[in-house]
Amino acid sequence: MRVSKAGLMVLLAFVVPLTVELRTVLAWFNVELTVLESVLVGLAVIAAIVVWATRPPKDEPSAASQ
Amino acid sequence: MSTYVDNFPEEAAIVRKAFYTSFVFLALGGVFGLIQTLHRTDFLRFMDSADYYTVLTAHGVFLVIAFTIFFLVGVFTWAVTTSLDRGLEDLRLTKLWFGLMSAGGLAAAITILSGFVGDAPILGALDADVLFTFYTPLEAHPLFYIGLVVFVIGTWVAGADWIRTWWSWRKDNPNERIPLPTFMVITTMIMWYIATLGVAIAIIVFILPWSLGLVESVNPLLTRTLFWYFGHPVVYFWLMPAYMMWYLLLPKLAGGRLFSDPLARVVFVLFLLLSTPVGIHHQYLDPGISEGFKFIAMTNTMFLLLPSFLTAFTVVASMEHGARQNGGTGYLSWLGALPWRDPAFTGMALAGLMFAAGGFSGMVNAGMNINYLVHNSLWVPGHFHLTVGTAVALTFMAGAYWFLPQLTGNKLWSRPLAVGQTVIWFIGMSFMSNAMHRAGLIGMPRRTAEPQYENFGFDAGVGSVAELDAQIALGGALLTVSLLLFFVVIAMTAFNGDSDYTESNSIPTPLSGPEDAPQVLDNLKLWTILAIVLVIIAYSLPLASIIDGRGLFGPGIEPFDPIPFSVVSTTLELTAEHVTGVIR
Repeated sequence: MRVSKAGLMVLLAFVVPLTVELRTVLAWFNVELTVLESVLVGLAVIAAIVVWATRPPKDEPSAASQ
Repeated sequence: MSTYVDNFPEEAAIVRKAFYTSFVFLALGGVFGLIQTLHRTDFLRFMDSADYYTVLTAHGVFLVIAFTIFFLVGVFTWAVTTSLDRGLEDLRLTKLWFGLMSAGGLAAAITILSGFVGDAPILGALDADVLFTFYTPLEAHPLFYIGLVVFVIGTWVAGADWIRTWWSWRKDNPNERIPLPTFMVITTMIMWYIATLGVAIAIIVFILPWSLGLVESVNPLLTRTLFWYFGHPVVYFWLMPAYMMWYLLLPKLAGGRLFSDPLARVVFVLFLLLSTPVGIHHQYLDPGISEGFKFIAMTNTMFLLLPSFLTAFTVVASMEHGARQNGGTGYLSWLGALPWRDPAFTGMALAGLMFAAGGFSGMVNAGMNINYLVHNSLWVPGHFHLTVGTAVALTFMAGAYWFLPQLTGNKLWSRPLAVGQTVIWFIGMSFMSNAMHRAGLIGMPRRTAEPQYENFGFDAGVGSVAELDAQIALGGALLTVSLLLFFVVIAMTAFNGDSDYTESNSIPTPLSGPEDAPQVLDNLKLWTILAIVLVIIAYSLPLASIIDGRGLFGPGIEPFDPIPFSVVSTTLELTAEHVTGVIR
């Protein structure tokens, strides 16, 4: 893992205010998201972070290549 | 290498009692927070809307007065005794202030809660549905005001207890610099003494005699102004202990040392100087105070950003230093080397992060012209749920995870659950405060059980009002879950007697120590005099003008005791006449 589990949890928590505020910010550019669309965007960001965090660091060989 | 309870068992017992008392008020205040959230957003209503004000008063007073102040007196006792490495001078005095605070808090709590039960036997109606601000002409039972006075006197005695201990230390160490934690406590208490004079005069001279029927009326603008004279610095009375914990504990938990002792001293001196002469910024929409005085208050308020920015720099630099000691590298990658597994660290770091957002919405509140857009709207609760509701409350809860083992000798029960608790608080507050800010921007009022009106609908701009309500209710529910987890962890830790906690109570020495700080920073007499002068400059003319306009006790009402008050009144009227003549 690239970050500790606790670090990952904090990182994911930080996505919440960003997603919530993103909806307001996008409205300034006439992009209006529904609640469902906002949730989906948030989940996509969370999934991307989880994938990134659970991959081995660059200087560590992955299990498959060993 | 010993814990606090090993070194100071008697003081630890007092600090434990203060913490447990604060947690009781936190639990009560939290329950009332959930009730009002669900009622206001119309998700769950089981009480009459008239009782909303009892709930709101309880939520406000229990959390921002009782929870915060009981906790901070515990922290201050720890800070003074730890940094001076000596016990308090006279534990009888310590027990006295704790007793006074408890008695005062209990009296105020009884009057507030009696709003639910109607008339009490013998005493009759004890109601105190006057909210945290107890603006006149809203009137509470005298016992409410007496309780507040006794509570505040308790804090004064506590300050005397810590100052006395410091004086005693100074006799034994005449050439030593004041240790930083004690310096923080003393500057905070000097600020508190100056600030509470306003509320003490408001209650003892005006509101209490009025509620007892000794005088017929009060001057609402005068009592409001005296309240806000105290009402803004009380914010710093909550915040400065949180700052203290960020300065002292965050670097330690991050594995590093405080970046700069001198900067920390400058910050606390600035708070002593600037916290009080700014209260009129809460009264931008009050008629009867000239725009010029309000502009001066706004200017003073903007200066308050400086110590907050200095704190952000110093604390983040200290955390980065700690992270790099633990192998952290890069511009931002060092963040991953911070001890996120430690709930005390995670909670305080998240609280600090949210305080930054609260600071930005606070700048909107502080600006006279922009304030008109959000004044008395739900924006304001959105703001202070980020500041006192998170920067302070989450820091205190996170701090409790470090303090309680020090105070009991018991290991913290379930670190992962405690980390989860702090994260859930952060998420819950993100939902709630965002919706509150947005609702405030569209003009939704605060302090009402019925924010919707017939034949009128708020235009939410983005989404709908129903979505904002749902977001507030979701946030409130998550905050309640977080509180429940907090109490589970605290209770299990308190009874975790089989464990053996051995972490040292020591505070690491700063990278730049007190020897780098100019000696003048420790000249507390100078700063106290300057703070008083600034208060006189900021408040003498507005108060003289208010008294000149409406009298000490309101228009056309003779004072209860005409002799002393007429002398005071005549003097102030003459002064006010002179002053307003000069201004015109």
